[in-house]
Amino acid sequence: MRRIARYKLLLAACVAWACLWLPPLRSMLESDMTLHMTVQLPLLTAIGVMLAMVLRPHEPCWFADADWLGIPGVLLAIFTTSLWMLPRMLDLALGNVSIDLLKFASLPLLAGLPLGLSWPRVPALGRAFLWANLISMLATMGGLYLGAPQRLCAYYRLDQQSAAGTALVAIAIVLGLAWFIVLFIGAPSPAKPRSADKSRINERFGWGASHTFPRS
Amino acid sequence: MTTQAIGTSRGGIDAGIAVRAYLAVTGIVLLLMMLFGFTMRLAQAQWINIEPNTFYMILTMHGSGMVGITGLSGAAVMWYFVRRHVPVSTGVFVANLVFFLVGALLILGSGFIGGFAGAWTFLYPLPEHSGGLWSANAAAFYMLGLLVIGVGFLLLHLDVLRGIISVYGGLGAGLGAKQAFGLAPEKDGPPPAVAAATMASISNIVGIVIGAVVLVLMLVTLYVPSFTFNTLLAKNLIYYFGHTFINVTIYMAVIAVYEILPMHTHRAWKTNRAFYLAWVLSTLMVLTVYPHHLLMDFAMPTWMLIAGQIISWVSGLPVLLVTAFGALTNVYRSGIKWSVAAGLVFIGVAGWAIGVIPAIADGTVIVNSVMHNTQWVPGHFHTYLLLGMVAMMLGFMAYIGGGRAPSRLGPAGLWTFLIGGAIFVLAFLAGGAASVPRRYAVHLPGWLPYDRVGVIGAGLVVIGTSLLVTRFFLALRSPMSGDGIR
Ligand code: HEM
Ligand SMILES: [Cu+2]
Repeated sequence: MRRIARYKLLLAACVAWACLWLPPLRSMLESDMTLHMTVQLPLLTAIGVMLAMVLRPHEPCWFADADWLGIPGVLLAIFTTSLWMLPRMLDLALGNVSIDLLKFASLPLLAGLPLGLSWPRVPALGRAFLWANLISMLATMGGLYLGAPQRLCAYYRLDQQSAAGTALVAIAIVLGLAWFIVLFIGAPSPAKPRSADKSRINERFGWGASHTFPRS
Repeated sequence: MTTQAIGTSRGGIDAGIAVRAYLAVTGIVLLLMMLFGFTMRLAQAQWINIEPNTFYMILTMHGSGMVGITGLSGAAVMWYFVRRHVPVSTGVFVANLVFFLVGALLILGSGFIGGFAGAWTFLYPLPEHSGGLWSANAAAFYMLGLLVIGVGFLLLHLDVLRGIISVYGGLGAGLGAKQAFGLAPEKDGPPPAVAAATMASISNIVGIVIGAVVLVLMLVTLYVPSFTFNTLLAKNLIYYFGHTFINVTIYMAVIAVYEILPMHTHRAWKTNRAFYLAWVLSTLMVLTVYPHHLLMDFAMPTWMLIAGQIISWVSGLPVLLVTAFGALTNVYRSGIKWSVAAGLVFIGVAGWAIGVIPAIADGTVIVNSVMHNTQWVPGHFHTYLLLGMVAMMLGFMAYIGGGRAPSRLGPAGLWTFLIGGAIFVLAFLAGGAASVPRRYAVHLPGWLPYDRVGVIGAGLVVIGTSLLVTRFFLALRSPMSGDGIR
């Protein structure tokens, strides 16, 4: 990526961050549980991914090596996002300023950023496995919200809660279908398999390839 | 296109040893589960006496164990042949075996220690309401076991698809979708093993992801019973997973037919447009046919039941027809020299084709309302699973471990298995036609004749299978070679 483009991206990330923080957008997104969970939280994470794209060229070598196969980074991102999947945390973020700050800082910096940096280092199989797990976890969370016996959040009504559950299940289904369609169509004309050339396939699909992502 | 893709994988695990390990585990678990089935048949025949609780526990272990081991051995067939065309990881293949063994231990523990007897279909909310027969922990062990096994299969199928995409570009190309619709020349299509592996992997991944959702939700309800779910929805999800998983075992095992018969007839398996179309259609249908398990659930939307019924009639047929037809044309006037392996895979095609007939009958609402939950059901599924899937898999086992084994063992095993299997499934079907219910530990006196004939058939199946498995283990002692795997 060229330098100018990187600065633009950084700027965009910061503006987005600020917009999400400031009242009009913020109160709109937080007034509804579905929007809170399925729009605000993913957008905050996306800001971190943008930061990762800006920072990647400056990533020190030892860091890339330490992040073996992207596992530490992805794990950190999984822990952070799971935390914010808990209804209790959503509640606290609404009622407590420091938890609110934590949300705005941790999702970009401890979820999006490590995810963006580590993802290219994850082997193809690992990525596919993560996708499959994401899809089933979203549907499971949705199911739990739908099956919950009572209100889980003090700030949201029961109907909002089940709307959020339905939305999560719907997102899981859409993601699953989209993934399938992309893989079904695939690359237009792949290298014809005259003889399966190990090195070339490894290079394209990351098996056994060196785990440091080539710098752009 | 049939070059050996990669010899040993990174980490140096030998693919030949890995396949043999799969088959060794299969041989042992299969025989153990058959003995469980034999025990149930003996109990129903009132030739031995076991507590009903124990019967239902054994029924649960037999159902899940058989479904699991056919899945595992089917995966071995698929992996062994697909790796001739695409790069796959031996490490992932072995990891699946390890996950399977861990999961199997959890499940056996849940049954034999915890007394879990909620059937392999673990229908919600039965695991939660044991009436004091088993604890929440026992049910949880069972479900965790399924989840662990699911993780292994998920990794394996994803790795197979990754390999297929790396060579063919996309899943559509792996299935031969363009060939199916006449958009590309037939000769450029993928080999049969690749098309079948694509279909099997897509279906199982969808099934496993859905199964994982319902399993985790049910695990939560075990410990937090105030969480409640729509039971009909849960049943839908469970059968989505269960139906798909058990169906896919056949679609994986059938690869053995495509590969082993041509080696004996010295004719390539014909992959024409119909062949690819069949695999594309069955990919769609295996994922939409499961409502035939819910034909008696009046609360289901009518359109789903109608769709389920119609798709049930046709879902198995395309692949079955191209396979049966392909097998016959491949063998006809080829001057084939029969071996145990070729004989078994051929029996497998026949068993599958015959078993589908009573299954289609049962997939019809008016028949189902009479036959549902009679032994007609184990009658048809044991036909295509035992005489179909397991026969194909035993053929693969004979092919891998054939050669230098004592020559009498194979034919003797084959015939005992075939004759015993026929008696065994006919006894179920006859019992079902006489309205003997399935899943009953204690049978009325009038039902005993069917049960006793069933015992004899089951005994012969156990003997025949033992002979074939022994033959495989004897062959393990001699140095490996001859089957082209390294
Ligand atoms: C010697 C071979 C076998 C014997 C003696 C045997 C026996 C039995 C018996 C007695 C039942 C209970 C029938 C009832 O409901 O009254 C049963 C159920 C079942 N068997 Fe087998 N079986 C054999 C092989 C297989 C194979 C190869 C499979 C392959 C997948 C299999 C899968 C099942 C399943 C899924 C059930 C249903 C369990 C349930 O109702 O929850 N069996 N079998
Ligand atoms: Cu089914």
